[in-house]
Amino acid sequence: MKRIRAVRFVSVLLVPLLLAAACSQRDDDDDAGTDSGGDGSGDGGGASSIDTADCLVDPTSEIEGDTIKLVSSFPQSGVTAAFAQIANGWKSYFEMINEEGGVEIGDKTFQLEWEDQDDEYDAAKTAANIEELVGTDAENAFSVFSVVGTSNNIAIRDNLGDQCVPDVFAATGSPAWGNPDYPWLIGSTLPPYSLESYVFAELLKDQKPDAKVAMLIQNDDFGAGYRDSFEQAIEGTDIELVQVETYPAGATADVSAQITSLAGSGADVFFNGATLIPCPDALAKAGQAGWEREITWVSGTCISKTLMGLAGENAAGVYSISNIKDPLSPDFADDEAMQLYREKVAQFTPDADVENGIVAYGWTQAALFVEALQQAEAPTRLAVMESVRSLDVGDDVGLLAPGTGVTTDGEDDPFMGERFDLVQYQFAGPDGPNYFTVVQDYDYEGQTADLTPEDLITGG
Amino acid sequence: MQLFISQLLNGIGNGVVYASVALALVLIYKSTGILNFAQGEMALFATYLTWKFTEGDIPVVAAIALSAGIAFVAGALIERILIRPVESAHNPLNVVIVTLGMFLAINSLALLAFGTDPQKVPNVFPTDSFHIGDTNIQKETLGLIAVLIGECLLLWLLLQKTKVGLRLRAVASNPDSSRLVGINTGVMLMLGWGLAAALGAVAGSLVASTDTAFDASFMQIILVYAFAAAALGGFDSLVGAVVGGLVVGVADALAVEYVDALDGIPVVLPLALILVVLLVRPNGLFGSRTVERV
Amino acid sequence: MATDVDAPDEPATAPDSGVPLYAALPRPVFWARVVIGGVLAFAALYAPWYFQPVDNKVLSQALYLAVAAMGLNLLTGFTGQVSIGHGAFFGVGAFTTAILMVDHGWTFEATIPIAALLTATFGVLVGFPALRVRGLYLALVTLGLAVLFPQVASKYVKGSGNIALVQPRRREFSSLLDGLEDDQWKYYVCLAVVVVLYLVAWNLTRARPGRAMVAVREQELAAATVGVNLAGTKLWAFGLSAAYAGIAGSLSVMVDGSANATNPALYFRLSIEFLVALVIGGTATILGPLVGALIVVLLRRNTEDLIEGKEVLSPAIFGGALILLVYVLPDGVVGGIRRLFARVGSRRASVEVAPEPT
Repeated sequence: MKRIRAVRFVSVLLVPLLLAAACSQRDDDDDAGTDSGGDGSGDGGGASSIDTADCLVDPTSEIEGDTIKLVSSFPQSGVTAAFAQIANGWKSYFEMINEEGGVEIGDKTFQLEWEDQDDEYDAAKTAANIEELVGTDAENAFSVFSVVGTSNNIAIRDNLGDQCVPDVFAATGSPAWGNPDYPWLIGSTLPPYSLESYVFAELLKDQKPDAKVAMLIQNDDFGAGYRDSFEQAIEGTDIELVQVETYPAGATADVSAQITSLAGSGADVFFNGATLIPCPDALAKAGQAGWEREITWVSGTCISKTLMGLAGENAAGVYSISNIKDPLSPDFADDEAMQLYREKVAQFTPDADVENGIVAYGWTQAALFVEALQQAEAPTRLAVMESVRSLDVGDDVGLLAPGTGVTTDGEDDPFMGERFDLVQYQFAGPDGPNYFTVVQDYDYEGQTADLTPEDLITGG
Repeated sequence: MQLFISQLLNGIGNGVVYASVALALVLIYKSTGILNFAQGEMALFATYLTWKFTEGDIPVVAAIALSAGIAFVAGALIERILIRPVESAHNPLNVVIVTLGMFLAINSLALLAFGTDPQKVPNVFPTDSFHIGDTNIQKETLGLIAVLIGECLLLWLLLQKTKVGLRLRAVASNPDSSRLVGINTGVMLMLGWGLAAALGAVAGSLVASTDTAFDASFMQIILVYAFAAAALGGFDSLVGAVVGGLVVGVADALAVEYVDALDGIPVVLPLALILVVLLVRPNGLFGSRTVERV
Repeated sequence: MATDVDAPDEPATAPDSGVPLYAALPRPVFWARVVIGGVLAFAALYAPWYFQPVDNKVLSQALYLAVAAMGLNLLTGFTGQVSIGHGAFFGVGAFTTAILMVDHGWTFEATIPIAALLTATFGVLVGFPALRVRGLYLALVTLGLAVLFPQVASKYVKGSGNIALVQPRRREFSSLLDGLEDDQWKYYVCLAVVVVLYLVAWNLTRARPGRAMVAVREQELAAATVGVNLAGTKLWAFGLSAAYAGIAGSLSVMVDGSANATNPALYFRLSIEFLVALVIGGTATILGPLVGALIVVLLRRNTEDLIEGKEVLSPAIFGGALILLVYVLPDGVVGGIRRLFARVGSRRASVEVAPEPT
């Protein structure tokens, strides 16, 4: 008796399961519209610099509809959430473009659309996010835009490369973005770290040819990039790298032991390759330790209102490089581009801190991308990517600093940030105005590959 | 030689920080038998409070005292509301999960309430140094040492010389017997947590004041070192916490200076250190052996 | 409660006594278990056809988390040695697999046994200090391991772009069966591993080794006096549980696409997740780690974007949910269900129940 009841019970349970089977949520129409192995090479006008023979998704298919969908992944929670400010910059710019009617490619006009997810700066999360946002057959997005973090972009470049989906304006200065094996990945206007080292060496050759340099770097590829490039740049000169100290990557690593060690090394020049809080912390500790120095250099990643503000008077006179106009600088108070930026950011992302340099940076990347879109020959991924890889603009785009500009040229010159200014921090007291002022400009167009140790570009 | 002394002083400076946090950890362990993974984040929240008060023009020492007071109350409440209901005979790991949940929650709430930008707590001690010969001794280091000594003294007085302290020790050593002789164990547990939270608040705020800035992750690495310090010294020994902190701090600073092989893996040192100590003395340097009854 | 003639509440921590199920339990409970088991098995097998690839990935993550949690269960739940460092073993397994695939061209499946062996060896090595260092102190030493691992990996592993990221090509993990999509295949591989490893654990804990483990947990001294090899038990418990974690790490390379040590807090966070999954599911039970893993992964996913614009808050919601779960289900989910069954079953036929040794 009980047995029969059990059987009936079980069969009753099976019915809803069968119904569920009939209306499966899963859509299996993967093959609609996307080819594998398209041979979209040279689609009208000049040979493509990108080999598309192995693309899993055809990059020459035109955008359907009238929106261009961009996706991104960056930290929005946790300690590194400060990087989320970059997005405020580009979102405002894109909103402005949409408001003006959209982007014109050929004879079609497109509105811009975007979606992003939080990855907490964790590369594994970035990979998961991008996979979801782009879709296994790249059906969910047109391009990936402004992903923050070196390891984060490295984690996605293989798959995006296989799919032939652009990953543009990667938000770090890693020389690895010049790797010819990854033509679909390109960096942004952030000058490559190796160039920073080179410029610093040039500055020393000029002002202190017998310098004894002490260096503080992060204990990862970012720091190694600074060190290896610098060592290459000073070969054959009288400049000596007397000591290098590392600190573990992480926002609040304590660097007092490292600074004490460097201060005691007899060096009279300090290369502060630290980023986030350790950067101003190192400056402060160096001041406290009474380290007598002639020249101090800070990493370009440290140029932000918050970070330099924390260093206070210990940041007076430090050098760095930049190619974005500093919103804090009185030199640009009347600048038209700056006023437009302030107006639109206040209109579209009122919560953003408009005086934060990284918002200005985000704005500028968007401006460059829109420029590339408008110059693309067709609304396809291949054409847009090639356009990004053949940019040639001056300082009238976005908030590019005066005298700078962006030029890229396919495989020969995949770096955007090769023209920039040497800047020096002016400190006038706790109430300011404190800002970076331009000392001179540099033009290294097309030279990054020559000045960078090969391993940093193709390594791994 | 002079470099050695500088690094030694650096190590002592850091060691005092680890010792202060270790004191809080040991206090909670001694009074309630719990390993509090959320100690660092509680200190973090209190540090943010200190900062907020100083933004409101309250002098920094008063701000620290204020947030320590708030931390005391909060710690006591946390014990009563979150910890006590879980402290039953079920699964001793349950409390661990609760402290881990607190770790996540408090950190996230701090970011929500205070924003993601790094902030600065104004200096409590003068930032210059005494110069003895070629050596610089930072006044901040001396200040931190003085505070630590003060804390130890107060704790000793409290625990050894007052009735409340006696009750606390009784509850720590044998909660059941204590209840039988009429001690309100609940209140004592709350007291233990409140004290530890206040200690953590002071430690966090002082550390933040000596650093250029702090952000929501700054207590996490300190906590790891504080755990190492407490383990080294013995989890049920307050003296051990202080000694452990100093040992870990000094060893770390000297390792950074003299051992190149540890470049990039600094945490090897405290780990190896506590391993070696625990192998020789499985209950830490000053811990007491537990008698096991079969 | 004390005056009931019901069978005593089954403590969640007692292992099965070895008495066959159908004799130990009252009829309705037995059939209920069969039915429910059948339904769940069917659901598990059908799931990848019903869900989108994104969801299947989440389920696969839950499955490898379940493997690691079971490993921890063997060590912490059954043998009583608390470890918050199993993330390190997971990492060793993951990197072993990834490096063998990328640098030496191995196929994924072949790397799993190697990863298991390597992590087992490490586990035994870690077990040696555990013979002397106990309880709280052992937990902290293992914590140190979890913090140490990403630093060591970053220093010695130079993967793609010179960072500690080793990423095999996606096609290495593609489905070996024609009818299955990649994400479905990965899910079934994980499911198969879970079934096999859980069966192993089940058999182990019901037999002599299981009793030895529990003896070590409950009363070391007494266990030694009745001839249980303390050192041996602890060492192979460490080794075995490490192997489980290592296999989970290997699976994670397939599911997530890479072995990645660039986040210094990752392996500590994983260690915590294993522990949470274990406790929430029910320590020293067989299904506990699986249930716990599902809960943890689904909870994490659902709290991620809960409040639009306030993503900072998601860890708080997650943490709060954990605290709530522990409060409501102090013996874990499986422990809670057992209590339910015990109460339901014992009302029907208190005579039929064979007494469970405690």
